[in-house]
Amino acid sequence: MAKEMIAMLLAGGQGSRLYALTQKLAKPAVPFGGKYRIIDFPLSNCVNSGIDTVGILTQYQPLVLNEYIGNGQPWDLDRLHGGVHVLPPYQQASGSDWYKGTANAIYQNISFIERYNPQYVIILSGDQICKQDYSDFLKFHKEKGAEFSVAVMEVPWDEASRFGLMVTDDNDKITEFQEKPKNPKSNLASMGIYIFNWDILKKYLIEDEADPNSENDFGNNIIPNLLRDGRNMYAYHFNGYWKDVGTISSLWEANMEVLDPEHSGINLFDENWKIYSRNSGMTGHQIKKGAVVENSMITDGCYVAGTVKHSILFAGVKVEEGAVVEDAVVMGGTTIKAGAVVQHCIVAENVVIGENAVVGAMPSGEEKGVATVGSNVYVGDNAKIGPNAMVSNNVKGGEEQW
Amino acid sequence: MVNSNVDALGIIFPNSRDGVVPELVGERLMASIPFAGRYRMIDFILSSMVNSGIGNVSIIVRKNYHSLMDHLGSGREWDLTRKNGGLNIVPPFAEKTIKVYNGRLEALASILDFLRDQKEKYVVMSDADIAVNFDFSAMIDAHVKSGADVTMAYTKEKLPEAVLAERQESTEFYYTLTLDEGRVTGMEINAKDTDVTNYSMGIYVVERELLIKQITYAYTHGFVNFERDILMNQLDKLNVQAYCYEGYIARITGMKGYFDENMRLLEEENLDALFSPSPIYTKIRDDNPTRYITGAKVENIMAADGCVIEGEVENSVLFRGVKVAKGAKVKNCVLMQDTVVEEGANIEYIVSDKNVTITAGKEVKGTDTFPVYVAKYQKV
Repeated sequence: MAKEMIAMLLAGGQGSRLYALTQKLAKPAVPFGGKYRIIDFPLSNCVNSGIDTVGILTQYQPLVLNEYIGNGQPWDLDRLHGGVHVLPPYQQASGSDWYKGTANAIYQNISFIERYNPQYVIILSGDQICKQDYSDFLKFHKEKGAEFSVAVMEVPWDEASRFGLMVTDDNDKITEFQEKPKNPKSNLASMGIYIFNWDILKKYLIEDEADPNSENDFGNNIIPNLLRDGRNMYAYHFNGYWKDVGTISSLWEANMEVLDPEHSGINLFDENWKIYSRNSGMTGHQIKKGAVVENSMITDGCYVAGTVKHSILFAGVKVEEGAVVEDAVVMGGTTIKAGAVVQHCIVAENVVIGENAVVGAMPSGEEKGVATVGSNVYVGDNAKIGPNAMVSNNVKGGEEQW
Repeated sequence: MVNSNVDALGIIFPNSRDGVVPELVGERLMASIPFAGRYRMIDFILSSMVNSGIGNVSIIVRKNYHSLMDHLGSGREWDLTRKNGGLNIVPPFAEKTIKVYNGRLEALASILDFLRDQKEKYVVMSDADIAVNFDFSAMIDAHVKSGADVTMAYTKEKLPEAVLAERQESTEFYYTLTLDEGRVTGMEINAKDTDVTNYSMGIYVVERELLIKQITYAYTHGFVNFERDILMNQLDKLNVQAYCYEGYIARITGMKGYFDENMRLLEEENLDALFSPSPIYTKIRDDNPTRYITGAKVENIMAADGCVIEGEVENSVLFRGVKVAKGAKVKNCVLMQDTVVEEGANIEYIVSDKNVTITAGKEVKGTDTFPVYVAKYQKV
C-alpha cells in the first residue's frame, strides 16, 4: 500500500551549543515546555497533519531518545503499516558509515522509504519548536506543481545574514539560494523543512552520494544542485510560531514564551492541535500552605512549598519552603531545597540544589546570562552559581562557580 | 516456563455499592467515579493487581458502564493489552430478555465457562469502591500459607458514620467479621457496630476450582449473594481466613465521604501513602501543564494538568482541565474535570461533576458537613 507522503525526521544533531544539557542525550530529546521533549512537536505535527509514517534518523546519544519514542504509542504512531521507526546508521554488506551529513542520512535509508512507495517525502528537523500543519504545506506543493518546496519564515532584514535565504519571484518560485550571505537579497529564511517529490529526491541523493567533494548536506549540496538544473522549486510561507532552540538562551526564551501564549503565539492549550508526549504517570501536583505561585506552569508530581514566579516546572519538581524560583526552567525530578534561590536559568533533570544555594541571577544591565545546570548534578548547600556558568559536575557546599 | 507473574487472575465488580453515591453514579458506575485529581476509582485496584503481577483481569459490568469502557479502552495504560490474558470487560449477556445480574454470584455464574478455561490456580476478586495501593501477591502468599479455602481482606477501623446512618435504608451491604486467630468464625451484614471493628474490604482470594464448584452449587440453588449464601452459610465447613490490611485506604461511602477522602489527600503523608510503593496508572489525556496566570493565589491544593488558574483557590482538589477565572474564589472544593468557575464567582464546599460551569458572580456554598453537589454539565 503506497503512502502519499511520509516524513523523515533528522534527529542526529549533537546540539553542542546546549552543552551541559546534551551531554547524555540528543538535542531532540531535550525537555521543553513543562512536559514535552522537543521531538514531540514535529511528531505531533505529523500525526495532526495525517502523516502516519515517520523515520527518525538518530546518531548521537540515542539511548534516551530511543526509549522515549518506544513503539510510538503516545503519538498514535504504533501502526500496522508505517508508524514511527528509529533509524540509526547500520552495517551494510559494503561496510558501514556514520551519517556524513543530512542528505547522506536520508540516502542511507532509501530502502526504508521505498517500502512505503510514497509520492512525497517531507524532511523535518528535530530541533525546532513549531506548530505546523504539514498537509497545508503539501497542498501548496501540489498546487504549484513543485518538485521541491521549502518552508520559509520572514525574518528581520538585519538578521537575515544568519540564515539560509530563498530568493523568490512573485509566484514564490525560488530563483536563488543564499547560505548565510553578507549581502542578503531576501529575508525569507529556510526553516529546514522540505517537501520533495520522491523520484526527484532519490535521483539527487544518488547523484550527490557519487560526488566525492560533496558534504552530503541539503543546504550546501542538494538545494544548489536542484537550482543548477532549473527544477520547479517553491517557497512556502509559514507565519506561525517557529523557534530554533539550538542555544541555551533561545531554549530558555522559548520556554518563557510558553508562559505567555497570548503574545508569543506558542499556544499549548490548543484542543485542535494537541502536542502529545510520553506521560510521567505521577499524581496531580501539590501547592502547599504559604506557597506563592505566579505566572507559571506546573505539571504532575510537583510539590511547591516555596515561591515560584514566571517559571516552568517539569514533572516531579520539588520546591521546598523558603526557596525562590524565578524566571527559571526546572526540568523533571529536580529538588530545590529550602532557602535556595534559583533565578533566570535552566536546571536540567534530577538535579539537587542544596539549602540556601544560589543559582543564576536576575538580569541587571549588560548581565543577561542564563545559568545552566546539567542533569544529575548535586549543588551543595550555600553554593553559588553565577549567571554565566554552565555546570555539569557536582558543586561542593559553599563553592562558587562563575 | 519462566513466569514472574503470580498464579492468579483478577475479577473486579465495578458496580458494587453504586447505591451509596446515587448522585455520582447517575451516568456512570462506582468504578468510574473520578477520584484524587486525575484518577478513576478502578485505577487503584486495577493498578494494584497489575503491580502484583496479575496479567489477566476480568471486569464484570452491570449497568452504566459506557464511561468505564471509555476509560479503560484496550487496557493499554495498565499494561493489560496482552495476547494471553489482559483486560476482559464482560457486559451483561443479551439473551431473549437481557438479564442483568443482581449479586456477585450471578455475575460469576455468567463467566463460568470463561473461568473453567483459565489456567491460573487462584482467583482474586475485588470491588472498586476503595482506593488502595494493595499488594495482592502478599495476600495470595498468606492464603497459600494458611491453607485457607477463602481469604478475605479487612481493616480494623470504626465504621464510617455515613455507613452507619444509612445501614437500614441502604440496598448496599457491608460486612463485619468475628475472628478467631485469623479464622473468620462469624460474619454480620450491616452491623450496628460503633467501636473499632473488622471491616471487610470486599477483596477475596480463592482457588479457581473451588470457586467454580461453589458457584455451580449456589447458582443451581438460586443463591445470589456470595458473602451471605456461600461464605456465611458455610463458615463451619470452609476455612475462611481474614487478612488484615494496614495501609492507606479511602472508601467511598457517600457524598460527604467522597468529599472528605479527596480532601484527605491534601495531606502529603496521605498522598504519599496512597501512591506508594507502586504507581497507579490511569487514562492519559495529553493535557498541557497547569498554568497559573499573574493574579492567581493558591494555597494547599492538589491540581492535575490542563488547569488554568487566574483566581483564588484554597484547600481544594482540582481535576484535569479546571478553569478558575479572574476574581473567582474557590475554597474547600472538589472540582472534577473541566469545571469552569467564571469571573467573580465565589464557591465553598462544592463538589462539581464533569463540565460544570459556575457562571460569573454567582455565590454557591455548602458546609463542611454537607458539601453541595453540582451534577454533570449543569450551569449554575
